[in-house]
Amino acid sequence: MTTLGRILIVEDDPNDVELTLTALMDHNLANEVVVTRDGQQALDYLYCRGEYSTRPSENPAVLLLDLKLPKISGLEVLQQVKTDDHLKMIPVVVLTSSHEERDMMRSYSFGVNAYVVKPVDFHEFVNAVKELGIFWAVINEPPPGSVKK
Amino acid sequence: MIDLSEERIAIGATRAPEDLELHNVRSPILRYGLSVVSVVVATAVALVLQHYHFREIELPVLTIAIAFTTWYAGRTPSVLAVLLSSICFAYFFAEPMYSFEIYARDLPYFLVFVAWAILVASFSAVRRRIEESLVQTRDDLKAELERRSHREDEIRKLNEELAKRAVELEATNGDLESFAYSVSHDLRAPLRHVVGYSELLQRQASSLLDERSLRFIGTILDSAKRMGTLIDDLLAFSRIGRAETEKTAVDLERVVREAFAEIEQDTKGRDIVWKIGALPVCYGDRSMLRLVVINLVSNAVKFTRMRTPAEIEIGYVDHNTKEVEVFVRDNGAGFDMRYVNKLFGVFQRLHLPEQFEGTGIGLATVQRIIHRHGGKVRAEGAIDQGATFYFSLPTTHDAAGRTAKAS
Repeated sequence: MTTLGRILIVEDDPNDVELTLTALMDHNLANEVVVTRDGQQALDYLYCRGEYSTRPSENPAVLLLDLKLPKISGLEVLQQVKTDDHLKMIPVVVLTSSHEERDMMRSYSFGVNAYVVKPVDFHEFVNAVKELGIFWAVINEPPPGSVKK
Repeated sequence: MIDLSEERIAIGATRAPEDLELHNVRSPILRYGLSVVSVVVATAVALVLQHYHFREIELPVLTIAIAFTTWYAGRTPSVLAVLLSSICFAYFFAEPMYSFEIYARDLPYFLVFVAWAILVASFSAVRRRIEESLVQTRDDLKAELERRSHREDEIRKLNEELAKRAVELEATNGDLESFAYSVSHDLRAPLRHVVGYSELLQRQASSLLDERSLRFIGTILDSAKRMGTLIDDLLAFSRIGRAETEKTAVDLERVVREAFAEIEQDTKGRDIVWKIGALPVCYGDRSMLRLVVINLVSNAVKFTRMRTPAEIEIGYVDHNTKEVEVFVRDNGAGFDMRYVNKLFGVFQRLHLPEQFEGTGIGLATVQRIIHRHGGKVRAEGAIDQGATFYFSLPTTHDAAGRTAKAS
């Protein structure tokens, strides 16, 4: 594990945040994680504005995105990211409760890189988050200009 | 329909006086009076004209009187008019004057007059009859027209109502969809947390907790997982109602083979005697029918768990050419026929969860799918003597179309 990409999590539910972080921590993937709690904050982070105006401007290696978010929904964030020349290279993984075909179709049509339904079973959930973290933050070679540690 | 005919009678009643006033409304006295008066007037006019030396004027004038009477007073007064004008003619105009006698040489002239008078009277009568029937036809047509426009109005009204219903239905469907969406999103999240945190607790505090506390955590986990399964099943069930069906000819034998492959896991290590007869080709949605067979067969496998060997039979009964009835029979736990009505209800179960697991949605799904195909489901059974589940399906495109339209 030579390099570790930064993971940006967009998740409004504190319990889901904790469970996701626990799952990442179990596999030593949690040290480069940024958590934003709604679509607005996520876009602020990505565009380095507001509370994130002083952060270095590299993109995260992967964006784990919930769909149901306050203010700006996950689908809107996804659309914004995938239509922005600077941001569209960031791999986006939708991590949601929704089994609905409608959400899946729209996410893929906006150009999502992966769509994962959060399993109810905790073991499966931990496994899913672990696999995602390892794949996108370690195995996958992110586009140039991403944060590496 | 009753409304329409009443309407029609009302129309007829209001029309009659306006058109037939002169023929029907006057009393007999007036009608015969008209006959007398018109002959008297005609005779007087003829006498006046004769006085001024106009010759041979009496015949046309009297004929006009007869025609006038026929037209306005009807047939019998016209006979009276013919009679009276014959008398007047004989008295005032035929030699010898002022006598009812007629010279033999004038007889043909007189007879010709009478014949002429009768002819005019009967022509007028015929004309009147034709006119009357024309008026009648016109009235009928008007009534028919009115009835048609009335009916069109009704159809338009029904159509508008239908359109309104369709909009309402769409709204309800939308509500239902957003409900299902919200269930799948929002209900799942807290459930995941219950499971997640219970497992975290189990992991972190297992050394601190006694066996009883650990069992409690296990129960929390099992219940939450069960609720997850219930939600998933319910969502799948509601999706069956909303999904579009794609109907083709379906070979049930192949469907059964596919179902076997799907439930292989459940039949492993079991001693089951399968009796599978020839199955027909019927008409329906392939994937939905597979779900029906999977549900019924896995039920049969589940409820024969305590039998060695278990016997499961699949076959069909051919009632008529339009539909077939397929059955799945087992020698398992069976059920009390008193509760047969509850079998196909959502979340209805006839056994305790520790006897046989399940959410109680399988047979409800079966029923919903078969109803969507225009078929029927039924069950027979007795406690500890097995159960038989039947479902009927149309065999032809035609029958399927008809039932789909009817439902």
